[in-house]
Amino acid sequence: MTHLLSLLVFIPAVAGLLLLFVPDQFGKAVKGLAFVVALALFALGLAQLLPLRGASGVMLQEQWAWLTIGGLPVDYHLALDGLSFWLVMLTLFLTPLTMLGTWNSLKEKEGRFAALFLLLQSGMLGALLAQDLLFFYLFWEAMLIPMYFMIGVWGGDDRRYAATKFFLFTLSGSLLWLVALLFLAGKAGSFAIAPMTMAAAKLPFGAQCWLFLAFAVAFAIKVPLFPLHTWLPDAHTQAPTAGSVILAGVLLKLGGYGFLRFAVPIFPDAALHYAKPIALLSVIAIIYGALVAMVQRDIKKLVAYSSVSHMGFVMLGVASFTQIGTQGAVLQMLNHGISTGSLFLLVGMIYDRAHTRMIADFGGVASKMPIFTGFFLVVTLSSIGLPLTNGFVGEFLILNGAWTSGAGHWGQTYAAFATLGVLLGAVYMLWMVKRVFWGPENADHDSGTHHLESDLSFREILVMAPMVLFILWMGLRPGHFMAASEAPVVKLLAEAKAPAPHLTPIALATEGEAHAASAHEAPAHGEVEK
Amino acid sequence: MSLPTAAQWSALLPAMYPALAACVILLMSLDKDQATQKWIRGAMYGTGFLALAGSFFSLAEVWHSGVVTGAYQQMQMDRLGQFGQMFVVVAGALTLLQSWDHFHQEGWVKGETVALLLLSLSGMMVFVSTTHLLVLFLALELFSLPLYALVATVRLRPEASEGGMKYFITGAVAASFFLMGAVLLYGLTGELDLVLIARRIGEHHLGSDPLLLAGGALLILGLLFKLSAAPFHQWTPDAYEAAPAPIAGFMSVATKGVALMALLRAFPGALSGAGLGPKAQSAVAALAVLTLIFGNLSALVQVRVKRMLAYSSIAHAGYLMLGLVAGTPAAHAGMLFYLVVYLAMNLGAFGLLTAWGVVGDKDGFEDLRGLGWRSPLLGLFACLFMLSLAGIPPLGGFYGKYLIFKELVGTGHVGLAIFGVLASLVSVGYYLRLLVALYLQAPTAQQEREAAERPVVRPHLARAALWICAFIVVASGFCQQFLAKDFAGSAATSLAQLR
Repeated sequence: MTHLLSLLVFIPAVAGLLLLFVPDQFGKAVKGLAFVVALALFALGLAQLLPLRGASGVMLQEQWAWLTIGGLPVDYHLALDGLSFWLVMLTLFLTPLTMLGTWNSLKEKEGRFAALFLLLQSGMLGALLAQDLLFFYLFWEAMLIPMYFMIGVWGGDDRRYAATKFFLFTLSGSLLWLVALLFLAGKAGSFAIAPMTMAAAKLPFGAQCWLFLAFAVAFAIKVPLFPLHTWLPDAHTQAPTAGSVILAGVLLKLGGYGFLRFAVPIFPDAALHYAKPIALLSVIAIIYGALVAMVQRDIKKLVAYSSVSHMGFVMLGVASFTQIGTQGAVLQMLNHGISTGSLFLLVGMIYDRAHTRMIADFGGVASKMPIFTGFFLVVTLSSIGLPLTNGFVGEFLILNGAWTSGAGHWGQTYAAFATLGVLLGAVYMLWMVKRVFWGPENADHDSGTHHLESDLSFREILVMAPMVLFILWMGLRPGHFMAASEAPVVKLLAEAKAPAPHLTPIALATEGEAHAASAHEAPAHGEVEK
Repeated sequence: MSLPTAAQWSALLPAMYPALAACVILLMSLDKDQATQKWIRGAMYGTGFLALAGSFFSLAEVWHSGVVTGAYQQMQMDRLGQFGQMFVVVAGALTLLQSWDHFHQEGWVKGETVALLLLSLSGMMVFVSTTHLLVLFLALELFSLPLYALVATVRLRPEASEGGMKYFITGAVAASFFLMGAVLLYGLTGELDLVLIARRIGEHHLGSDPLLLAGGALLILGLLFKLSAAPFHQWTPDAYEAAPAPIAGFMSVATKGVALMALLRAFPGALSGAGLGPKAQSAVAALAVLTLIFGNLSALVQVRVKRMLAYSSIAHAGYLMLGLVAGTPAAHAGMLFYLVVYLAMNLGAFGLLTAWGVVGDKDGFEDLRGLGWRSPLLGLFACLFMLSLAGIPPLGGFYGKYLIFKELVGTGHVGLAIFGVLASLVSVGYYLRLLVALYLQAPTAQQEREAAERPVVRPHLARAALWICAFIVVASGFCQQFLAKDFAGSAATSLAQLR
């Protein structure tokens, strides 16, 4: 299948556009059809893409000249490589799963929602596969529109505010980025990555820094990196369950992916120059997100702030400029997609029953919904990063990468503080679990617990089971999911001329107290090396 | 003075058809039965369409045959002139389609409006194809006077005559400025043709003469008024609010378009060599920034769609002027491309009001609540037009801005480009406001009741016009090659030949 990638991107777009016009009374049928389309795409991905996972370099590619606008050629260029492989699979996997998991959540216009969902999927896949920057930009912006309506029409009480904030926030970053893009494309004569990299290298360093910042801000808003994260809690809390899942599961990843795919390769020097500040902001995001999550009274908002914290880890890994840290970041993106996606699904399931998400409204849920509690606990542990679950592997790799990064003492300090984030993660998650699930049942007759009449249905178990499977699989055999990203990351770091990992101090420290004195001198040695 | 050849005659025909048809329609509208007999009204509109179709096809023929020079005395049927005439004819046809439905909804169908519209059209067609100041002025008056009347055409509405009056007085002042500018330039050089004026200035080294500066400034001022650039924009919201929706759409598109093309002919084109270039450029840059600020910020606080669109059209004048600042041939081609997309999206936006059956002053955002769900197709059109106006890819509006900003960045005006994108970020706020009303707000109980009681209207012609607009907006987003390169690009080349 030579047009496999085009099919993946445009089947959902065409199906979504067609289904968008089916009148509301056929909503159920439309929902079913959309699910079938999403499932078929996932099956297509499993059958055709999965066998490619071991290939190094570009696995699949489609490229032809699309148009020339304003004298600059724009290529229709889709490609799948190790960097995007698992994110594409994640998108294909989460879409049908989310549809199934939120089957009965929406009360009105469910068909239109499903159609928008397909359009969103098309935008996400396009953004993950596009290699030409203008082509990428088109998908990047086009994703906003379905998400805007998903939040704005089906969201909570404050949906209009949240939707508009989401739209404007994201757009502000990408519009400034567009100016940088146009500037660089004018110098390079093309929107492809390679000519842009060459053109960027010829610019004075100050200009490179400005351009990198324009790129970085656009991606950092999407991640979202502190202090650009303020749209996220609003959007997450107001969005319907399916919107939150896909927002956390895939949309945020595109920010981190954008750094690895575009911002760092095009401006390696500037990226290295700003590595420390970005790492600092990541650490702040990790701790700040965790602290704010701790004081939330709404479970969904808690999960939203935990996203800020977890995505901080991803950015810390990217900014570490070590192979282990960057690969950890790629893995952590998948982890976060799975575990936070699951958390949002679970929160949606309990909300559908109790019509409240306030922690205080619950208590003693475990005795009423044992299966639900079981799933929730596994996902919680994964989110905390307990060994054997996927969260542990990702966070461990990232912390390792930050500790050993060429930034020396800085990297170690960052790693130390980021570890605090893991600890705080355990605090806010377990404390929430304690208040919601354990203890005596909430005695209040209007409380959420009182309304929980049924445990998970077969459909909901069917949704959660693969999630838990992946949580454990990725925790036990992370190599399966990391092999693909190895080659691209090594190439990326080599091209960025990242400083060598700073392994000496650790090696010395393990050799015993006799060498302790020299271990103290090692960082100074590291500074000289740099 | 020799008689024109056959080829030159045929180059003149497109501008004549609407004028002739206007005369015929005026005679037809003497018939008192037009209020009761639908076929009479149909015949009047039909005549109008026939004239526009004639113009369109003869223009297409002229386009194929190439540039016709010296068509008749001062008429230039160069590529830009042909492009401009085509632009005006299409805008006129789309307006005519919408106005049939709109005037029936208002219950005020008069042949005079068709005749006035056609007269205005033929004025515009002359206006875009000349560099002769006297002809420019006559054409300016020919297209403006009918518009003053058209604004006030539904004279039962109290604000109609108010808006028409305001527009007329300010317009007359602006026209007199234009005339004064022309007189000063004539006094300085003894020529009335811009190309010859530029030549005389070059020959006699008049580049720093204050009379030239004053004349040039007054000339620009007259054109900027028609472009509704700040600070000459105040008439716009009042006039658009008073005017029937299709007429407001026509003014926002055609008047702005022809003013811009005349500006292009005058400044980057003819007078660029006259030492006015840099001064005019910095003046235009300052005014563009001012226009973007006024237009966007005022549009944010509007509660009615027509006024919002009026301020948005002011903001779009600002983006177009940024293209003048960049001043490269590619930027001019970009502006012309933008104009075509702007024609589709703005006439589409005004046409939506007709398609929804909005009459009188029922065009508040609050009056449109939940309409997007009631008619999904119109809702989709609204999304297309609003998102394109906001410059969201992959619709045509994005590429218009893209072309202009790219040239701005390329010529070193990065600050202006950043300002431009920030302005378009602000604009997203008010374009989304309409989508919020259409989709995110449920109609009130009273609105539900009224909607149920209202007879079902099927504005077929307006919907047809919307289909065409939507097609242009989408097509210019996905395969803009033809429009950007072959059409707008080759129109922009004729600017270089003016020098």
